[in-house]
Amino acid sequence: MATGVDQAVGMSLVVFSLLLFTYYSVWVIILPFVDSDHILHKYFLPREYSVILPGIAAVILLLCIGAFIAVIMWKNRKPKKVD
Amino acid sequence: MTKLLEWLLGVSLVLSAWAVVSFDLLELSLPQTYREVAWPMPLYLLVTFGCYSLATVGYRVATFNDCDEASAELQGQIQEAKQDLRKKGLKI
Repeated sequence: MATGVDQAVGMSLVVFSLLLFTYYSVWVIILPFVDSDHILHKYFLPREYSVILPGIAAVILLLCIGAFIAVIMWKNRKPKKVD
Repeated sequence: MTKLLEWLLGVSLVLSAWAVVSFDLLELSLPQTYREVAWPMPLYLLVTFGCYSLATVGYRVATFNDCDEASAELQGQIQEAKQDLRKKGLKI
């Protein structure tokens, strides 16, 4: 078994993804079937955000990937040879 | 039929089923709550896939075996190699 930090990081990733999956599932699938005066609605944002927030996350992810590629390519540029 | 055609056929079938339910293209007049649940389905499946990938990566990081003996052996071999190369004149 891996030890120390590896185990902590791995398990925290698993727990985080489980929490995210549960919250998002309740938000998208269960909430429309719940009466609009139930207190459960207090814990969730309006449903439009269930589409907007993943969209923003995807845009940020693409920006980070693009920035990373740009930095790497900038560092690897070689000066042109002079004949 | 090639794999690509099979996949495209499957994806287009699922997409058309989703479009029919979400946008009421066949005038089936389903209850509003079912349409509200069906509409974000592609995004929901994407998020689910992302969560599953993250959980798999995290679980495999947590359960990856440390090989202490192999690590010690490798360190020893690195020292041997360094001494050998120093003797032959390489500066490390």
